[in-house]
Amino acid sequence: MNWPDLSLGGYGFYVWGSYLVSLIAIVWEVVSLKQRKKALTQQQSSNSVRASVVRGSVNETTS
Amino acid sequence: MNLYKYASPATFYPLAGKIIPWFQIPAALLFATGLFVGFIIAPPDFQQGDAYRIIFIHVPAAWMGMFLYVLMAIYAGIGWAFNARLASMMASSLAVTGAMFTALSLITGALWGKPTWGTWWVWDARMTSTLILMFLYIGFISLQASIEDPRRADRAGAVLALVGVINVPIIYFSVQWWNTLHQGATIRILQKPTIRGSMLAALLIMLAACWFYSVAVVLIRLRCIILEREQNASRFAEVGV
Repeated sequence: MNWPDLSLGGYGFYVWGSYLVSLIAIVWEVVSLKQRKKALTQQQSSNSVRASVVRGSVNETTS
Repeated sequence: MNLYKYASPATFYPLAGKIIPWFQIPAALLFATGLFVGFIIAPPDFQQGDAYRIIFIHVPAAWMGMFLYVLMAIYAGIGWAFNARLASMMASSLAVTGAMFTALSLITGALWGKPTWGTWWVWDARMTSTLILMFLYIGFISLQASIEDPRRADRAGAVLALVGVINVPIIYFSVQWWNTLHQGATIRILQKPTIRGSMLAALLIMLAACWFYSVAVVLIRLRCIILEREQNASRFAEVGV
């Protein structure tokens, strides 16, 4: 095992910069997907409420 | 068991939900292991010192960028030829992750090029062809976004994806066909790799991590696309009623 010093022999900016950019990209992708999913499930639940309201009114008129 | 039933978005949706955790958790573990081996166990390179450690993210990102493009083109082609909705949705889902990895390979490549070659960018065959790959991904995503009818968007995207697939072997063989500034392949299928065991291990673990990660996020996005399209379809049905 050899623990590297954090400056990485003067290459720290480039190496850490690469991993930082990658981390940002991955976090961005995961978070944006979570938000997309959340928006969809919210929309879906409001749709089902609307659908049941519509169904209810249809039932009222038909009965 | 009839496997064909999973070709329908409605039956694939719950199956994908079950598959996702099997890729999410190993992806996180593999990323942690790969970084540990890459930074703690692998020694500095005798020529490039510690700068070479960018390889552990740069090479997997570049491979995934190319691999996901081919996969995207195959799915788009199947969706077009057999009128398979799920395959086309898979292609749309793959495009975003593929574009992200290609962008990462370009950025980390620039960050590697500066200390080792003295420049962020040159119009070298491999880098130029990778930039074209990025444009193909952006073209595919924006073309699909610009067409309202999803099936028409799928067909238009499939044509672009299939024409653009010619670029992938060009990227892969560019370092052999042309005299480029980019170094040649470190790992070859038929020959011994030219790097140390621990470096190779870190590289392969990070590649596996990127692969598992891609499967997880592509399936999560695919589930979103299925829901979005089904919702749109039901809204149209409501209007029709």
